[in-house]
Amino acid sequence: MHGRLKVKTTAQQEEAKRKEREQKLKLYTAATSGAFKKRLNGEFDEEGLKLTGEILSVNPDFYSLWNYRKEIFLFMKDNKETEFVQKLMQDELGFLESCLKVNPKSYGAWHHRSFILENMPLPDWERELQLCNTFLEYDERNFHCWDYRRFVVLTSDVDLEQELAYTTEKIQTNFSNYSSWHYRSKLLPVIFPDPTHPVRVQEDILLQEHETVQNAIFTDPDDQSAWFYHRWLLGRGRKKLQISCVHASRKTNQILVLLTNYIQVNHGHQLSVNINSSPVTGEWRNVTGTNSYSIIWILTVKDGFPGGEDLSIGVTLLTESDCTQFSQGLQLAEGQDEAWTMASYKAGTRFSIELSAAASSTMEKELEAIQELHSVEPENKWVLLTLLYLMKAIDPVHEKYQDDITEAIEKLTAVDSKRKAFYRDLKSKFMMEKILDVQDVNTRDMTLSGLDLTSLCHTEWMVLVQELDVSQNHLTSLKPLGNLPCLVVLIANNNDIDSVEGLQHCKQLKKLHLQKNALRTVQAFSTLSSLPLEDVNVSGNPLCNIENYTEALKAILPTLAPS
Amino acid sequence: MGTPVKDIVIPDNAQKTLLLQKHADYIAAYGAKKDDYEYCITEYLRMSGMYWGLTAMDLMKQVDRMNKEEVLRFIQQCQHECGGVSASIGHDPHLLYTLSAIQILTMYDALDMVNTEKVVEFVVSLQQEDGSFYGDKWGEVDTRFSFCAIACLALLNKLNAIDVDRAVEFVLTCMNFDGGFGCRPGSETHSGQVYCCVGMLAITGRLHHVNADLLGWWLCERQLPSGGLNGRPEKLPDVCYSWWVLASLKIIGKLHWIDKDKLIQFILASQDEETGGFADRPGDMVDPFHTLFGIAGLSLLGEERIKPVNPVFCMSEEVIQRAGIRVELL
Repeated sequence: MHGRLKVKTTAQQEEAKRKEREQKLKLYTAATSGAFKKRLNGEFDEEGLKLTGEILSVNPDFYSLWNYRKEIFLFMKDNKETEFVQKLMQDELGFLESCLKVNPKSYGAWHHRSFILENMPLPDWERELQLCNTFLEYDERNFHCWDYRRFVVLTSDVDLEQELAYTTEKIQTNFSNYSSWHYRSKLLPVIFPDPTHPVRVQEDILLQEHETVQNAIFTDPDDQSAWFYHRWLLGRGRKKLQISCVHASRKTNQILVLLTNYIQVNHGHQLSVNINSSPVTGEWRNVTGTNSYSIIWILTVKDGFPGGEDLSIGVTLLTESDCTQFSQGLQLAEGQDEAWTMASYKAGTRFSIELSAAASSTMEKELEAIQELHSVEPENKWVLLTLLYLMKAIDPVHEKYQDDITEAIEKLTAVDSKRKAFYRDLKSKFMMEKILDVQDVNTRDMTLSGLDLTSLCHTEWMVLVQELDVSQNHLTSLKPLGNLPCLVVLIANNNDIDSVEGLQHCKQLKKLHLQKNALRTVQAFSTLSSLPLEDVNVSGNPLCNIENYTEALKAILPTLAPS
Repeated sequence: MGTPVKDIVIPDNAQKTLLLQKHADYIAAYGAKKDDYEYCITEYLRMSGMYWGLTAMDLMKQVDRMNKEEVLRFIQQCQHECGGVSASIGHDPHLLYTLSAIQILTMYDALDMVNTEKVVEFVVSLQQEDGSFYGDKWGEVDTRFSFCAIACLALLNKLNAIDVDRAVEFVLTCMNFDGGFGCRPGSETHSGQVYCCVGMLAITGRLHHVNADLLGWWLCERQLPSGGLNGRPEKLPDVCYSWWVLASLKIIGKLHWIDKDKLIQFILASQDEETGGFADRPGDMVDPFHTLFGIAGLSLLGEERIKPVNPVFCMSEEVIQRAGIRVELL
């Protein structure tokens, strides 16, 4: 089905071909029905192997026939002498090898081979490893063969450092070695494990790996596999599960909790609250009102917060698998409408785990090397993108590299224009990370206008924000603002927004300005009908061409103030 | 210095408009000649072949041209005692063909044509201790089968019959350094597997495990200078990846990261104006498989003459909604 060129033929050639195929088909159909007939009759013999062999050598994806063959081998195993079975299975391996030579990517053939190895009296695993070497010589990217190799390695306990050396050899002799780099990424955490490290590999090994990758990159700056692998080495892993923010509001009778990772309450994790040492009952819900995995959880306090006294609120997060707990306390004074506590993060660590000193200096050296490469290959997008990631890793809040970052992104957009949307989103992400990293954690008013933003990210960190201005950007969606349950004012003029999807979760939204966007229907606003909206401005949208759109809007949004 | 980029060049005389009617005619006529060589030797995937053709026709709003009764009768004859469905009559039951059958029956609103309880039993019986799924009793493990199992049960509204947490856990062990997924733990990332795993995580509501930025980048890097998409680095572009890659991007909210116009250009160039249908790339032979994925890809890219397609199930949105199934995307 793949890679078959359509070739123009004459009528005479067509006819000859048709006749040939008719004949082929006759034999094929006869063999197939013969094989199925024998199988139904319970005949598990060498004739069955012969018949199915004829078919499978031209059509190795005919899975039911491999199954019949397996039944024959199992029957032989149960009923014949071990020596006979061994010889038969050896022959099968020979048969399989010829099948694989013709069709090295047949799932059925490779699986059948593992079946034979698993059932053979005396399997020769060394020979199987050699077979893999041979097939990987033909095609270093044959994932069936790599998977089979891993099966052989696992089952026969091949030394993993030997396997690592194999990948090193492959990488040094060949281009197009994505499969080898990939295999390395699997071997390193097993041979040199460090479960505390974000990449799960011992740091000193990783630093060596940086050198190995660098060699590859410098030998051929267009070898994309090495660049993908390099990106992995720069990865900084996941945060520990903790409570980042607790917010309590007498107005909404809710306690809101922002975590550092996604959980599902009552499914692997528990969230519990007590107020002045009394446990609080209630259902935890995410911002959309369901209990699916979320990073923000909200509890509506049944019967409301107790009045007439200062409240000491305690929230505890329990991880069921290891019974670890994380607690956060919050004081809500008698006259206070709302209170919150938001965790502080050292600058540059909120979105990435800090680099170790060794890693830091390695990054700096690498940045120098890649900058050198950049001067020789100014249009190479892999170089530019890697420069970006390195600079961001070293300087998360853009103190030193802001201009270089901006320049790299502009260049990338120019030399790799097919992916300009990706680069623009990346720029937006870097921008938002910088802003969120630097601003006071207790900020409730944010202005993100005129920043060339194409997307909003990390919005869970804006969970306390009441007023937000994202005007004069290139946003098309407001969906990420569903993470802002405290939002009262949203100014989003001059964007490319074509939907209000997401805002229905901003249950306190009163003022919504969406002038000069791409909204086409009034109907789209029906999802916002239960919000306390008083001031909505949609002038300059395509929907303004609809007759009486203001009346239509007022009909959908009952709380709108009379104009 | 420099490895040349493996790619094709779209010929100047390549097709530039969508020949929708020709494709519908191609599918409608496919399989009419029961003694065609190609048709016969692909009997081992017939159920999936039917799903490809019928779904393509449904998306092209012409499924009424197909013989519904014949299809339903065929499916009925393919369900085995164990509950599983085979590719064709007399062939062995397998998860791949069980899913295709359920997809077809869902489209035709005729799930009662098979014993759905037995289907569920069959799927459940194939889940292993580690959460993975065998394709059939012979024990091949592959994340494609995790997708088949979960999608099948979702269409039957019986997701909870299996251990969902374990199934998810297994899929996550197949996640790689590049954010993508392979067949089994340790397997290299491949766009087809990415689609299966991302689709499975979407159905089970666990998309938060996906690093959308990292995987989205890997996926958008599938786009080559010709505009076509490949399945993994340094491979040739192929129209079927217009589905596997595109649907994955759609599910994780990054569809806009590929150049839409250039991809459309590539897909259209892969049409055969003589026979109708799509091939894997311009100039090659067409088949129903690539025809479906070319059509489905164009649907995701906004082609108005094609029905909106659901990126998780590769079935029309209309059918999925009618079946009452809702899957949240990123």
